[in-house]
Amino acid sequence: MTTLACWLIRAQFRSRRAATLLSMLAIALGVALGYAIHLINDAALADFSRAMRAVQGDPDALIAGRDSSGGVPLASINEIASDPAVLVVAPVIETRVRVGSTPLRLIGIDVFSAAAVMPGLLPRSAAGGAGGDILAGAVYASPALLDKLSLPIGATLTLMRGDQQWSTRIAGDLPATDQNDLLLVADIAWVQEHFGPTDAVSEGRIRLAPGIDAATWRATTAQLLPDGLLLRAPEDDSARAANFSRAYRVNLNVLALVALLTGAFLVFATQLTAVAQRSTQFALLGVLGLSPSLRLLQILCEALAIGAPGALFGVSLGYMLALAFTQLVGGDLGGGYFSSSTPAIVPRIAPALAFFALGCAASLAGAIYPAFLNRSQPLAQALQAGFAQIVEAGGVRRRGWLPPVLLALTAFVLSRLPPWYELPLAAYAAIALLLVVGITSAPLLTRNLFAWCAGRRLPAAQQIALQNVAQAPLMAQVAASGLIVSFALTASMVIMVSSFRTAVDHWLDQVLPAPLYLRSKATPLPQSLLDALMQADAPFARVERTAHTSLTLDPQHPAVALIVREIERGNPAARLPITGPLLAPPADRTPVVWISEPLREIYRIEAGQWLRLPLLGRTVEGFIGGVWRDYSRQFGALVISSDDYRQLGGDFHPTDLALWPLPGRDAAAWLAPYVASHGLELADAGDIRRSSLSIFDKSFAVTYALEAAAMLIGLFGLAVTLAAGVRLRARELAMLGALGFSRRMLSHAVMLEGALIAVVGLAIGLACGIAIGAILTHVVNPQAFHWRMPLQIPWAAVVCSALSTLGAAVVASHYAARRATRLPLARILASA
Amino acid sequence: MLTVSGLAKRHAKADRPLFSDLGFSVANGEIVALVGESGVGKSTLLNCIAGLETADRGSIHIGPRALDIVRLDEATRAALRARSIGFVFQAFHVLPTLTVAQNIAVPLLLCDVPVGEHGPRIRALLARVGLTGFGDRWPASLSGGELQRVAIARALVHQPLLILADEPTGNLDPRTADEVLALLLERVREQQASALIVTHSRHVARSCDRTLTLTPEGLR
Ligand SMILES: Nc1ncnc2c1ncn2[C@@H]1O[C@H](COP(=O)(O)OP(=O)(O)OP(=O)(O)O)[C@@H](O)[C@H]1O
Ligand SMILES: [Mg+2]
Repeated sequence: MTTLACWLIRAQFRSRRAATLLSMLAIALGVALGYAIHLINDAALADFSRAMRAVQGDPDALIAGRDSSGGVPLASINEIASDPAVLVVAPVIETRVRVGSTPLRLIGIDVFSAAAVMPGLLPRSAAGGAGGDILAGAVYASPALLDKLSLPIGATLTLMRGDQQWSTRIAGDLPATDQNDLLLVADIAWVQEHFGPTDAVSEGRIRLAPGIDAATWRATTAQLLPDGLLLRAPEDDSARAANFSRAYRVNLNVLALVALLTGAFLVFATQLTAVAQRSTQFALLGVLGLSPSLRLLQILCEALAIGAPGALFGVSLGYMLALAFTQLVGGDLGGGYFSSSTPAIVPRIAPALAFFALGCAASLAGAIYPAFLNRSQPLAQALQAGFAQIVEAGGVRRRGWLPPVLLALTAFVLSRLPPWYELPLAAYAAIALLLVVGITSAPLLTRNLFAWCAGRRLPAAQQIALQNVAQAPLMAQVAASGLIVSFALTASMVIMVSSFRTAVDHWLDQVLPAPLYLRSKATPLPQSLLDALMQADAPFARVERTAHTSLTLDPQHPAVALIVREIERGNPAARLPITGPLLAPPADRTPVVWISEPLREIYRIEAGQWLRLPLLGRTVEGFIGGVWRDYSRQFGALVISSDDYRQLGGDFHPTDLALWPLPGRDAAAWLAPYVASHGLELADAGDIRRSSLSIFDKSFAVTYALEAAAMLIGLFGLAVTLAAGVRLRARELAMLGALGFSRRMLSHAVMLEGALIAVVGLAIGLACGIAIGAILTHVVNPQAFHWRMPLQIPWAAVVCSALSTLGAAVVASHYAARRATRLPLARILASA
Repeated sequence: MLTVSGLAKRHAKADRPLFSDLGFSVANGEIVALVGESGVGKSTLLNCIAGLETADRGSIHIGPRALDIVRLDEATRAALRARSIGFVFQAFHVLPTLTVAQNIAVPLLLCDVPVGEHGPRIRALLARVGLTGFGDRWPASLSGGELQRVAIARALVHQPLLILADEPTGNLDPRTADEVLALLLERVREQQASALIVTHSRHVARSCDRTLTLTPEGLR
């Protein structure tokens, strides 16, 4: 039996090389994309965790302030150290400094306690030994930093922060740090002395006594801590990184799945036409005694013979893609979640097998319907009349409109559902359903529309083409469905990206009101500059200062950005792109905050409510005055006016400036000395705008590539199905030829048929595309990324791509038509 | 050995049954011709016997184990066809994507005959039907008469108990038809199989052992 199966598969591959190869490639492409995305993300996450561990060590718990500008008071560290369950607490002070224009992390440790908790940070002296110089005020640099600064060990280094400077010596390196870490390690007392604060540290890393359960200890101790402090497990950071890039990864995977789906569709088209073409052959085999289940199995085997090599090729291609991508671009995939390092790609057996199986499954899924058709065809009729019976069986039933309408309603309901597991899974299901609606309504439209057209008086060739499309709805459906799916997806992506881009463009206008922006790289701006700006001769009409820090509102979520701005309490809308209602602040001096849309969605809070802020070592109740649009900080951000912040007792150390130069004065020249000596960044609003939009475009580049692939596959599907249709109707066409149709007329009929099917496919695809675009814009984006934006349909681009696809479809049907004209008419008629 | 009794069949959309109570039998080694006007239901009867269509009533027993094909499910019918029935059609129906030898090997594969035995058996049979050396050729390169001989070889290769032929010579010129028919009869007798041959040709009917005539009223 396997011999027969092999013979048939080989014969099939021989006679339909192009279609088979295309299906294989499409499956390979889907598998490759999915697998590559998986490998890159896996590597980036592993890399992130490893880098985290190298710096953080392997403590049982971490204690830190909720407010990044505050810290852990030494008293609290001492209290925890006195707990008998605690073996050692390693205090750490971390701050950012600059060397020249390179920003880097300076970590102050206590070598003795660090040895127990953070072996990765232990210094190594050039002289050998474990770094006795550290107590004498020397610093130790990570290999990556030495490399970047091209300084040897023993060199003298000038550290800068604000307008202060310190000179020190590099006494050795940090052998165990990660290859991408720019780090300096010094003694904690030395760091405290120069950078403060003297009564607090940034973090305490805790090692518990043997036999103590870390989770239980953390839970009980957390209750006793003062408000501003946070006790957490070391795994939290990696887990959060994984969680928060999850939506992005799922989204990419859905795109890869789309590629795989189109692959499955091509297998479907290939196998359905294969079944149709060979219906007489399979009927004959049935008469000879091939059982129905074996006839079904044969089609599945053929699909597997397409899917397995395709999937195998896809897995290896995916591995190569991942390697190439990480070498060229890094591990980030455009999402901005991971620093752009070059993570190592480590393929493991289980996921590779899973993706291989996925490719095979996609191929099998595509073949299921054709396989069932092949099983259930009535042998005696099929032997006589070929595929005609199958067309009848797959034809349109009376109440054909009911299922698509019901499906569309279900899709609508699904798109209204909240996210599942923080992912827009219901919305994805709605999108899949909409595609099904498109495909199932195709035969209804073709039949009704073209049956009506065929009723008009038309030249013979056109009449034949119309009748053909109208009467073979199944084949028309197969040919059209590829176009429907690919065009719907392409149009929806174009609509979503365009809506997003327009929204970002508009948003940039609102958030960049000043012509010039100056910022330091995460260190406070030099006081000398701030003072000079206050002088009357400064060339600026207006200066607004901003400071950026972060807060941990909930240990389960990443820290949110706290933006302290010079902003009017009563009129935030002048500076913030407020969406929704703006509430008047309370009359007394209670602090008001304005939260970003992502913050509102992640923490499920609304304007008018009160938010408990872990600020300056205590809990402060802030009134939420409104919600503003933010496309840059995905984990959430909140703005508080500098007056409120000062009144709460906070120090306002600006890190960013918005500048309105006086007309006719050269602001850049005036700022140049500060920019040069303090490594500041000066950019005009136009530059920021351009670079933001270019980052935006880059991160959507992957999706453009996928769309192009989908469109190509859709067009190939059309060509393959039309060509197969021509072969199926060889006898009919030959007979028309014998009746006096010229080859030109036959070819025109076939081309017209292709164009008609393409028009229907594109029309339905466009309708589905708009619906899917609306779901992507209004449901998927807010649910997955917390980005909201108005829907904006770029009609020109959509219509242009529809027209160019139509053109391509006509070319594709020309290829099929050429087949029609090359049919050996005489031989076909003779063999009847 | 073929025994048909009480057979009734009516097509789904037909207003009257094709036949309502057919009964006959064909002995081992016996060749029976089935004649009758066009549209009277000869092909339908053959299809019912082969289990390609389901009779409404009655029974059809093929072979010594006397399975009633009317009451079998689709898969068992297929298995029965594979083992016990050889079919020859008016339109030659060979698989265009398999070589001549592979076409003839299909029934052997379906009967699980070890692949080692295929070569000799197919070569011997090709010689018997006068197609020595045709094994590796593709069907597209054969003439109608040659194709029908391939079909006959395929119907006989697994030594079935029953041969069903639906106008096997209808598409051939008289001389080739005679040759092919003679071949078929000779092989059937040689294998002691039963055969039912539908034909419009008196000449063919005369070469058979017995003639059954199907009329709207029944068999004569
Ligand atoms: N699937 C079907 N559904 C409905 N009617 C059918 C079907 N198949 C055959 N018929 C009808 O049954 C009748 C008998 O058909 P059948 O093919 O058995 O005739 P036949 O005796 O073989 O004719 P011929 O000598 O022309 O081959 C015909 O009238 C035909 O129209
Ligand atoms: Mg007939």
